[in-house]
Amino acid sequence: MRKVLLFFVMAFLSVGVFAQELEYGKVYPLKAGMGADEVMRVMYHNKYSLFAQDYFLPKSKVLYVDTSGYTRTKIARRYRIIKEGKGGISYKDLIVVTYPTEIKGLAILTWTYEDFKKDQNVWLWVPSLKKVRKISASEDDDAFMGSDLTVEDVSTRRFEDETYKLIGEKVFDGYTFEHTQEVKSKGKPCFVIEATPLKPRWYYSKRLVWVDKETGGNIYEEYYNKKGKVFKTRFIEWGWYKPETKKYPMQIAIECKDLRTGHRTVIFNEEQEYDQGISEQNFTVKALMRSRW
Amino acid sequence: MVEEQKRKNGKRNLRGCKMRKILFLLFIFPLSVFAGQIGDDVEYSGYIKNEVWFRTNTDTSHQFLTSFKNTFDIGIEYKINDDWTFFFHPRYFYDFAYDIRDDDVFDRNQEIMGHTYQDEWLRDCYFDYISDNLDLRLGKQQVVWGQMDVPILDRVMPIDLTNWFLPDLADMRIPLWMVKLEYSPWVNSTIQALFIPDFEASRVAPPGAPFSFAAYNAFYDLQQSLPQIVDPGPPPVYLNNIFVDSKTPPGQFENSTFGLRWRSMIEDLEYTLNWLYGYSTSAYLYTDPTVSVFSIFPPPPPGEVNSDGYRSRRHKRIQMAGFSFAKTLVNPGPFEGLTLKGEFAYIHDEPTYYGTSGSREMTRASDKYNWGFALEKNIVTNWLVNFQFLQFIADRRTMIDPSTGISYRILDTSTYGVIDKIENVYVVKIMTDFMHERLKPEITIVYQDDNQGRIVPKVVYELRDNIWLKLGYAHFFGRPDSSNGQFRNRDLLMFEVKYTF
Repeated sequence: MRKVLLFFVMAFLSVGVFAQELEYGKVYPLKAGMGADEVMRVMYHNKYSLFAQDYFLPKSKVLYVDTSGYTRTKIARRYRIIKEGKGGISYKDLIVVTYPTEIKGLAILTWTYEDFKKDQNVWLWVPSLKKVRKISASEDDDAFMGSDLTVEDVSTRRFEDETYKLIGEKVFDGYTFEHTQEVKSKGKPCFVIEATPLKPRWYYSKRLVWVDKETGGNIYEEYYNKKGKVFKTRFIEWGWYKPETKKYPMQIAIECKDLRTGHRTVIFNEEQEYDQGISEQNFTVKALMRSRW
Repeated sequence: MVEEQKRKNGKRNLRGCKMRKILFLLFIFPLSVFAGQIGDDVEYSGYIKNEVWFRTNTDTSHQFLTSFKNTFDIGIEYKINDDWTFFFHPRYFYDFAYDIRDDDVFDRNQEIMGHTYQDEWLRDCYFDYISDNLDLRLGKQQVVWGQMDVPILDRVMPIDLTNWFLPDLADMRIPLWMVKLEYSPWVNSTIQALFIPDFEASRVAPPGAPFSFAAYNAFYDLQQSLPQIVDPGPPPVYLNNIFVDSKTPPGQFENSTFGLRWRSMIEDLEYTLNWLYGYSTSAYLYTDPTVSVFSIFPPPPPGEVNSDGYRSRRHKRIQMAGFSFAKTLVNPGPFEGLTLKGEFAYIHDEPTYYGTSGSREMTRASDKYNWGFALEKNIVTNWLVNFQFLQFIADRRTMIDPSTGISYRILDTSTYGVIDKIENVYVVKIMTDFMHERLKPEITIVYQDDNQGRIVPKVVYELRDNIWLKLGYAHFFGRPDSSNGQFRNRDLLMFEVKYTF
């Protein structure tokens, strides 16, 4: 009887931790036996690097590859500061395009709120106007900077936007990274979770998400249409940022394929850093106006 | 004699033009080859651009090929240390349209419109100091105020209207030497202080250019028709000349422009409070007393009076105070994602023209109250729709000339057409993208009172990372004495190729 009571108390406490937002500034490891909701909360926690104080990505190289192999390139810098809910804000993001020259200097400042129902606040530095424009947040299903990723894939999808079902715990078969023909993440133990959007008539009916047990990152996703057919895949190579005592999961490379058009987007994130003491003054309209391009 | 002199001047200028072309080409090609980055401290990028503008409804006064313009632009950033950066940004253009046209038809505007005007080749040249709370920018630069796409508070910089409002606003603004200081006492709150000892007048196209103002053309025609009888008399009074004196403010400390802007946020409502004190960047025409002249050689016919007219273009002290705001509705609901923006400017003592239709009779200072608001939202995935409504309000619809007692109506500055006390402007802008942001169409529709306005659709295509094509069209409509309607016969097809590095 005591064991049964203890089991229920532990189960209750365990649910209690994961039933709410995870605490900022902590890395949460995944453990065998976790439920779908628990796994996905950790996954989102890692996706938006809520375990850190700030994040700096000096070079994110985005390749747009069409079916003929013709490739366009965009390069951007990215900064993030985690606000930990102060003023209702979860984190602030700044993306600055450095290539191609035609849009060099284009900068997007985004404030994301803790309240998942709230839209983002977005400011844009427009080089052709030399002016900051307050703009409406992009639609969630719009392409992120013209890529095969949607805006919600990159920045607006939250835990509360979907319901989750654990399909099972599997070993990942590996993904052939088309850009390098390299097989990546083979043999990684994963949770496989089916995520169903709450929005009616959404652009996907469900997605299958492989969450790496080691890093807590979503290493592979398949997007299904209404007919139950996969129309998009996304692979993310996760690794570790390990200076001295810290050990943070981070996204190293992404390949997203639109199976309908054959177009794919490849992203390489280089020299990422966390907890560099980035000032919040860099996430203001004034900072956007510093742009010289 | 005059025609021959013009032709000679034309040929001399053409020789100069050819030299400039050669120098231009010699200059740009080596740089485009060696573009890139020099070490960790120097970064540069730029472009070479060719723009061709064709008129689609030619009349006798203008040529089919409006512009064949080649532009070279480079920005160079030198990081001196962690706090200081130097930025240098020259730009030069040469318009070949004047050479391509028939040599015998030398365009009198080549010297003004054919290449970069005076020292406007220097777009930016400044030192930047950046720290957590204090930013300082010293040198030639642009400062932009306001939230709207149509300038209301954006009055700090002079603007180049030689191509009306077709170029990007950043290219229309004429940079000035100034000190800009930004201090943030706390996050998201900043006070900006401007000290601008430099002065440049806003520019308009010279008479006869594709986008010269109707008032300028009429004045030029009047000058060309002199001498003429202005009073049949007796005795008859002849007007021989009209002299125009352009007066710019003397370069003294007290003639500098000063500006302050407070920017802050209340929750997620962003607002600014603005104040500007300085000379109007636009020059306004004043009529000075006509002087009777007596000519010895040749002596005037008996019984006639000869006179010279005098005009002056002057800049007057004005003061502007205003505010702006912007807010996106982020909470769930039917208006979620809607961005509201607005601004207001009170301008004290701005010179204003009064007269009858087509004739300016006097220029008097009056107060203006300009305001506007904008609504913007993304709809259907990636269609951005922006609507703006603006009002330009003068404090007086009429002005009585104290010397004659005649009441005159307020006039449009560019056409001398009669306008209302309140002028309404509606702007709709729609933008989207296709092919992974490779193809970007947009359309801007400006509609003003009296059924005048312009429609400018354009599409940008990214051929390669470094080669961009643009195709656009500008359609103007309205009465000939309205600001857009004066260009109703000057619709343009615009094509642009841009190579960036």
